[in-house]
Amino acid sequence: MNKLLTGMVAGAMTFGTAAVAQDDVVIQLKWVTQAQFAGYYVALENGYYEEEGLNVEIKPGGPDIAPAQVIAGGGADVIVDWMPSALAARENGLPLVNIAQPFKSSGMMLTCRADSGITSPEDFPGKTLGVWFFGNEYPFLSWMSQLGISTEGGDDGVTVLKQGFNVDPLLQGQADCVSTMTYNEYWQVIDAGLSPDDLVVFKYEDQGVATLEDGLYVLEDNLSDAAFVDKMVRFVRASMKGWKWAEENPEDAAMIVLEYDATGAQTEEHQTRMMSEIAKLTAGSNGALDEADYQRTVDSLLSEGSDPVITAAPEGAWTHMITDQALN
Amino acid sequence: MMILLGAIIFWLAMWAVNAWLAHRGSSRAIRIIVPIIFGITVVALWEWLVWGWDINPVLLPAPSAIYAAFIGNIPTLWADFLQTFVQGALTGYIIGCGAAFLTAVAIDRSPFLQRGLLPIGNFVAALPIVGIAPIMVMWFGFGWQSKAAVVVIMVYFPMLVNTVQGMKATDPMQRDLMRTYAASYPQRLMKLRLPAAAPFIFNGLKISTTLALIGAIVAEYFGSPIVGMGFRIQTELGRLNLDMVWAEIVVAAIAGTAFYGLVTLLERAATFWHPSQRG
Repeated sequence: MNKLLTGMVAGAMTFGTAAVAQDDVVIQLKWVTQAQFAGYYVALENGYYEEEGLNVEIKPGGPDIAPAQVIAGGGADVIVDWMPSALAARENGLPLVNIAQPFKSSGMMLTCRADSGITSPEDFPGKTLGVWFFGNEYPFLSWMSQLGISTEGGDDGVTVLKQGFNVDPLLQGQADCVSTMTYNEYWQVIDAGLSPDDLVVFKYEDQGVATLEDGLYVLEDNLSDAAFVDKMVRFVRASMKGWKWAEENPEDAAMIVLEYDATGAQTEEHQTRMMSEIAKLTAGSNGALDEADYQRTVDSLLSEGSDPVITAAPEGAWTHMITDQALN
Repeated sequence: MMILLGAIIFWLAMWAVNAWLAHRGSSRAIRIIVPIIFGITVVALWEWLVWGWDINPVLLPAPSAIYAAFIGNIPTLWADFLQTFVQGALTGYIIGCGAAFLTAVAIDRSPFLQRGLLPIGNFVAALPIVGIAPIMVMWFGFGWQSKAAVVVIMVYFPMLVNTVQGMKATDPMQRDLMRTYAASYPQRLMKLRLPAAAPFIFNGLKISTTLALIGAIVAEYFGSPIVGMGFRIQTELGRLNLDMVWAEIVVAAIAGTAFYGLVTLLERAATFWHPSQRG
């Protein structure tokens, strides 16, 4: 079987257009195929990766896929992850390094029912809040710790539920607030029949507790390999080209994402809407990590009271090596 | 290479020890000591290879790291155990097995129910847990009640089928004998049918012990409070604290084995007369 495959590949190489040697790159996404990752799909569809001599495979994620674990097991060259979980992984012995940061702003927010009586964060104590875990809980935990609110329940604290990846707890009244992304779950609440007037929204960005979201991470050891670095430079360059194209052509980008959605679960309306929200988050980033944003993320994670996400300021958790070369 | 060689030599040495012990007869002491040596060998090799090959703890933590996580987090593990095992699994187990038992007795009494209820039980058993769990969370909330509900659904069918089968285990001669004694239905049930069914009932109970634990843990993946074994496994996996994930697995293994063992002891006490128990 293996021989047969090799033979077929060799045949394709001889007769096909793929005569130019291409470098393989596998990217592991943080979540399922959706407009949140439009830049990569656009770069693939529009041939930006091919122009750079790259043969890119995009692996969609899902509720129980931790990108960090995939890259640790050798299943990917580069992953999309949020900085808090990447830094936590780094502290746990998996040396992830941020090589590019396509997302400038955070899309995370807490969406509350207006009839719960919540109008400001001071009203949180005594309420039940839905939070995502699996590495996505850090921004919430550090926000609560900055507010001085216990997450252990009781009158002074908040009761935390591990919500699934939907907004049912809010719709069913099981929680007063749930976590949502500006580009995804918020619209599920709206689609479920609640109007924006029924909701009170706290954006992490507005509360000053935003942490960096979708960035590109690789293993530190690989960065000493010149061939790998060269591959990543081309990958980041093509990806950012894809992102900027997606920002300017949200509708076409959404259609490209839909084409690559093998599950068929996404709808055109939802993806178009998501793409226009995503474009707001990627706006202002040329791909290079802004040191001030990084510092704010680290400070927020370090300040978390009794159970900090990271115990010491990380060293070497990011580099401009790739973006400096890619964006010249 | 030296690492692997060392591992192989150690493995063969331990094998030789065990083989030598096994040939010396089968006294009680030897029957206990042989599996213990095997277990120690596996753990020692695990530690040795993880250390020797410098395996990233994110992929596989060493047993010593798991032990440290276990010892260092006993209050957390205990709270998770109470939430998931005692409240979720055990409650669901008792309700589910109890309901299945009563249903089986009713089914045995009435052919009408036999035709109606068994197919429904069959249908419920075929429902996938990943489909049921989110629905139960919607119905019964995020607490242990929804986990117990999932467990009820998981254990109900194996228990039902086994008990129904057990109720048929008497042969005509025995039933005729009861008839000649003019035994009433309750008398026949208590003195003949149920004792005869006991080996089957305990079979169902034993199968259900592990199902209950699995159900309670997996159900927590679909929404839970911030305590519980399933919650901890998922969350710590996301945080790449794999030693803590393994510590929970150790708790689950201990709890599941102890639970199974307890039911087996009960079985031995209740069905001492059965050929399978007369060693």
